[in-house]
Amino acid sequence: MPEFLQSNPGYLFVVATFLPLASFLLVLLSFGMWCVFRPYRDTEYGAVLYHLFGGDAPGRTPAYFAVVAIFLAFLCSIVGFGLYTAGFYHVEKKEKEVKDIRASLARPENADKKKELEEQEKKAEESLAEVKTAWENAWTAHFDWIRIYAPGQNDPDRGTVLQLGFRIDNLNALMFVMVTLIATLIHVFSMGYMADELAPTYADHQVHTEDGHLHRRGRFGRFFLYLSLFCFSMLNLILTDNLFQIFISWELVGICSYLLIGFYYERQSASNAANKAFIVNRVGDAGFIVGLIIIWTFVGSFNFEDIFRQVRWPSRTAEGELRSGAKLVRATAEGAPTADGKQTLVADPDGDQVILYPSDLVHTKAGAAPKPGTRIEAAASPKPDEHGSMPYWVLVVAGLGVFLGCVGKSAQFPLQVWLPDAMEGPTPVSALIHAATMVAAGVYLVARVFPLFTPEVLIIIAYVGAITLFIGASIAVVMTDIKKVLAYSTVSQLGYMMLALGVGGWTAGPFHLLTHAFFKALLFLGSGSVIYGCHHEQDMTKMGGLWRKMPITAFTMLAGILAIAGVPTFSGWYSKDAILAEAIGFAGVHHEHMLLFLLPLVTAGITTFYMFRMWFMTFTGEPRDLHVYDHAHESPWTMTLPLMALALMAWLFALGWYPWDASASWLEHEIEHAQPIAVSANFDLEHKFAVSYHEVTGLIVLVLVSLGFTFAVLLYYWRTLSAAETKEQFGRLHTFLSNKWYFDELYSAVVVRPALVVAHWCKNVDLYAIDGVLHAVAYATKWVSWLEGRFDNGVVDGLINLLGNVTFRTGVRLRGLQTGYLRSYVLFLVLALIGIVVALSYVVMATAAP
Amino acid sequence: MTDSIGLTPYLLIGALLFVCGAVCMATKRNAIGILMGVELVLNGATVNFVAFAHYNPAFEIEGQIFALFVIVLAAAEAAVALAIVLNFYNNHTTVDVDTAEELKG
Repeated sequence: MPEFLQSNPGYLFVVATFLPLASFLLVLLSFGMWCVFRPYRDTEYGAVLYHLFGGDAPGRTPAYFAVVAIFLAFLCSIVGFGLYTAGFYHVEKKEKEVKDIRASLARPENADKKKELEEQEKKAEESLAEVKTAWENAWTAHFDWIRIYAPGQNDPDRGTVLQLGFRIDNLNALMFVMVTLIATLIHVFSMGYMADELAPTYADHQVHTEDGHLHRRGRFGRFFLYLSLFCFSMLNLILTDNLFQIFISWELVGICSYLLIGFYYERQSASNAANKAFIVNRVGDAGFIVGLIIIWTFVGSFNFEDIFRQVRWPSRTAEGELRSGAKLVRATAEGAPTADGKQTLVADPDGDQVILYPSDLVHTKAGAAPKPGTRIEAAASPKPDEHGSMPYWVLVVAGLGVFLGCVGKSAQFPLQVWLPDAMEGPTPVSALIHAATMVAAGVYLVARVFPLFTPEVLIIIAYVGAITLFIGASIAVVMTDIKKVLAYSTVSQLGYMMLALGVGGWTAGPFHLLTHAFFKALLFLGSGSVIYGCHHEQDMTKMGGLWRKMPITAFTMLAGILAIAGVPTFSGWYSKDAILAEAIGFAGVHHEHMLLFLLPLVTAGITTFYMFRMWFMTFTGEPRDLHVYDHAHESPWTMTLPLMALALMAWLFALGWYPWDASASWLEHEIEHAQPIAVSANFDLEHKFAVSYHEVTGLIVLVLVSLGFTFAVLLYYWRTLSAAETKEQFGRLHTFLSNKWYFDELYSAVVVRPALVVAHWCKNVDLYAIDGVLHAVAYATKWVSWLEGRFDNGVVDGLINLLGNVTFRTGVRLRGLQTGYLRSYVLFLVLALIGIVVALSYVVMATAAP
Repeated sequence: MTDSIGLTPYLLIGALLFVCGAVCMATKRNAIGILMGVELVLNGATVNFVAFAHYNPAFEIEGQIFALFVIVLAAAEAAVALAIVLNFYNNHTTVDVDTAEELKG
C-alpha cells in the first residue's frame, strides 16, 4: 500500500475522501444493528448485542469514529498537498531550465555554441516531457463507469462514456486541506456543543406539546452520521475531474444540508427552513441539468479537460502548453453543408457559431488563434480528429445553466433567501456547511468550469456577485440575531468571490474562498460558543459585556472580525484586497462597469461596520439582560480549542513575505499555479491594470474600513451617537432592511402564491372534475354489476338448477325400478331378451323380404 | 344314422326347457329353486347344441363338446351358487331371496 501511494500519490486524496464514507457506513450499520436487536433487549444475548450497538442512552462512539476518520483524512490531505507542492516545483524547475537554454540560444553572442546548446535543449526537453508524464500519471486517474452505446451498436471502444476519476491541482489540493482541517475542528467543537443530545431523553424547549415540551431521545450519533456523509460528499466534489461526478456530489451535499438544517425537525421553523433550502436549490439545479445536457450533447464528455480542449482554441498540443491559447473562436457558416455533413465555417468575431476543436491532442495544431476570414471545415458529428461547431447562444445557455446551479448552492442573488433560514440547524452545521464549505462549492464550480463561460456569462456572474454582496451586507447591518448577521455576512462574502471570478480575478475568488472558510468558520463557532454559553440565547439585544464571562470566545472572535474586515496581515485583508484590485482592474478597462468596483468598495466599509456592531453588542458595554449575563459561562475546552486553532489560521493562514505587501500572500501564489490559461489569455489587460492599482485600492479600502469601524465605535461602543435615534431617523430604510429587502414577500407574491393558487385550482379540478368522472364511472360499474348479478342469479343459475332438478327428479322416478328383488331383475332380463329377439326377427324379416 | 323325427321337436323341447327355467327363475323365492331354474335353462341350451350338431352336416362333434362344456360349467356354477346360498343363509337365516334387498335403490 505505501509503495502504491508513493508512485500514485493522487490516491492519498481518494483515501481522504473515502475515510468519512467509511465512518458513515460503519455508524449507519451499527444503527441498523441497534434497531435489529432493540426488540430482543430483554433476552440474554439480545441485551448484550443491544448494549454493544448503543443501548438506551446515545453514546459518544459515533463521534469518535467521525473525528478519527476526518482527522486521518486531514493527515492524508496535508501529506498529499506537501507531495504535490514539492513535485510541482520540481516540474517548474525543469520548465525554467528549458526556458533558460532557449533564451541563451537566442542571444547573438552564443552563436558559436549553437550546436552544443541545441543538444542541451533537446535533452532538457526530453527530461521535461518525462517528468510531466510521470506527474500527470501521479495526480490524475479515471476509469470508465458507464458506457452509452448508440442503438444497435455494442462495440466496447465506441460510444460515449461517463467516467469516475480525479485530478489534483493546486486549487483542489488546497481545498482538501481547508475542508478536512475545518471539518476536523468542527467535529471536535460539535462534541462539546452537541453534548445535550447525549441524554436518553432530550427536552426540546422550542416545541410545545399538550403536556409541556417535546421529549425525545438524544440524537448525538445521528448528527455525526450526517456530518461524515457530508464530509465524504464535499471531498468527492472537490476531488473529481468531471462535471457528472460533481453533480452527484452536489446533490449529496444538498441532501446533507437538508438533513442537518432539519436536524430539529419537530420545530416547525426548522422543517420549513430545510424545505426552503432544498426547494430553492432545486431551482438552481434545474439550470445545472440544462447545462449538463447541452455539454453532453455537443461535447460528448463531462471531463473538464475534454470540454475545455474542445470549446477553446488549443492551449495545449502534443508538444506542450501554449500561453496565448484558450480563446473562444466564433465563426459564421459559409454556403450549404455538403452531403457528408461537412460545413465550411469562416472565423468571425461576431459569428453565431463556436468552433469545437478535435478532442484528440495529436490532431490539434496550435499557433495564434485564427484571423477573421480563416476557413475551417466542421463536421456535423465530429470524430476525435475533426473540428465541430455549436451555436454560440447554446454555449451561453450552457454557461448560464451551470452558473444558475452555483447561484442556488452559493446563495447568490436572486436565490440567496434560503441561506439565512438555514441557520435553524445546529451552529456547527452553520459553520461547516453553510459558511465554510458547501456554500463555497458554487464558487469552486464557477472557478473549475471557468473556460466554459463566454464573456456575456462572466459579466452576468460579476453583476450577480456585486448585487449579492451589497444586499447581504446591507441586511446584516440591521439583524439582531447573532447567527443571522453571520449568515448575511456569508451571503455577502460569497458575492465577493463570484464578483472576483466574473471580472476575471480567477485567483482572487478561490483565494477569498479559502481565507473566508477559516474566518467564517471561526465566527460561526464563536457565535455557537456564545449561544451555548448563554443557554441558547441568540438575540444580541439581550447580550452585552460578555467578554468578562467568556474571554477566549470574545478574543478569538475578534480575530475573525479583524480578518473579515480586512485589517492588514490578517488573511481576509490579502484576499479582499486582491478581489478589489481585480474589480478596479476590470472597471478601469471597461468604464461602463464602474459599479462593479464601487459596490464592493462601499460594502467593505459596511462589512466592517456590521461586524464590529455585532462584536460590541455581544461582548462589550453593560449587560442588557442580567438573567442571560448571570448564567453565561465560558465553553469547555472541546469548543475553545478549535476556536483558538481557527483564530490562528484566520490571522496567519494567508501570510506572505513581506507581511505588509498585500500581493505577497503565499496562498495566492499557490492558487495562481492552478489558473486556467483561458483566464490569462482573456483578461490580460485587466490583470495588468489590477496589479498596478493594487496598492492604491488597498489604501482606499483601508479608509473605508476605518470609516466603518469609527461608526461602529461611535454607535455601539462609546454610544456618542444613539443607535435608537439613528434607527428612528432612517426608519423607512431600517424597516426595508429588517424585512430583507422584502425578498421573501416578493417570492411569496410572485412564486409561492401563484403556485399555491395553481395547486388549489389543480386540487379542485382533481376533486370535482376528475373525481366526478371517476365517481360516475364507479357508480355505473356498480349499477351494471348489480344488473349482471341479477342475470347471473336468475338466468344462468336458473338453467343450471333446472338441469339439476330434472336429473334429480328423473333419478327419483327411476329408483323405483331398483326393487332389490332378484326375481324382478330376472324378469327384466327375460323381457329384454324377448324384446331383442322380437326386434331382431323384425329386422331379419324386413331384410329377408324381397 | 337317420331318423324321421327332424330337428323341430328337439328345438321345441329346448325352448320348453328354457322357458320353464326362465319362469322358474323369475317366480321362485327359494334360492335353491332359482338354481334349479338356471340348470333348466342351461339344459335347454345343451339340447339345442346337441340337436344342431346332429342335424347340421357342417358340424362334426363340436355340439357334443359344447354340451360337455355346458355340463361342466353347470357343475361349477352349482358349486359356486350353493356356496353363495350357504353364505346367504348364514347372514339372513333364510334362503328367501326377497329378503336380499340391499341393492334396492
